[in-house]
Amino acid sequence: MVNDTGQLYTIEGIAAALIMLFSAYLVLSATSVYTPGDTHISDMQLEQLGTDALRMMNTPINSSSAKSPLQEIVETNNATYFNETFLNYVNNKTELKTDNLHYSAVVTYRNITNGNTTWNYPLSSNRNLTGGEHPVRVTEWVLANIQAGSNVKQNRAILVEVLLWRD
Amino acid sequence: MAGLNDDAQWIVLMGFVVSFSLFFLAMLLNQSTLVGQTTAEGVLDFPKNDVRDVKDVITESVMLYTSGRDSPSNATVVQLDIESLALSRKNAVVGYTPIDEIALPTSSDKHTRISIHYNNGVTEYNEYWTSL
Repeated sequence: MVNDTGQLYTIEGIAAALIMLFSAYLVLSATSVYTPGDTHISDMQLEQLGTDALRMMNTPINSSSAKSPLQEIVETNNATYFNETFLNYVNNKTELKTDNLHYSAVVTYRNITNGNTTWNYPLSSNRNLTGGEHPVRVTEWVLANIQAGSNVKQNRAILVEVLLWRD
Repeated sequence: MAGLNDDAQWIVLMGFVVSFSLFFLAMLLNQSTLVGQTTAEGVLDFPKNDVRDVKDVITESVMLYTSGRDSPSNATVVQLDIESLALSRKNAVVGYTPIDEIALPTSSDKHTRISIHYNNGVTEYNEYWTSL
């Protein structure tokens, strides 16, 4: 009963089986769908942009002024100044049309009079977070002479935290 | 293929080649959505800016103390601020030389020296910083 006819049919059958198995494998492994929760590349760019903006704000404007704009903002709690400078840094583009970045900034400090716990207060924001956005968090350490969680005004290290998102 | 003879075997073979190359292209397309993903993850995971920031604020505070513009007790308050905020808000263990162990500059040695430690569980960074 054994002979060597139909060899091409056998090869075709094997090839077809391999192709079908491979297609099934491709379909099953195709889980890398680009979803909004998986946007690492734009997250990275936003984070870099925000960090750079905060770092520029935490640099004294010239050698004669000892304090950086961000230090002054925190010490005087000047939300308008922060809003203006920060949006100017992150939203300016080469073309005339500006970018659409929004932010919400808080100041985090250690509360000495309340068991050294971490507290924060809102600094400024240009839009409320509704929950549908996909913000990234950028931070900047600031040394400011303020009364935050203690009885006296003194030099304190506080953390300016900014949630930044594009819409 | 249905004909019971062995004609046109080259055509059949070319058909296989073409179909396999199409699957190879489909696989390339499948992988192309991942381009830049691991790069971006690598950049996001590595705390470059965190280390720079925390080093800046530490040296700024210590230099305020060693130049006599801040009291040792207040510099210690700032040190506790940095260490506890880094732990609670940046998920990083940060530590540096206790203020009372930092030598004040003398006429023979004007340098300030601090050891800075940073560890967020993934990246560990140690630095022995000397002022200019």
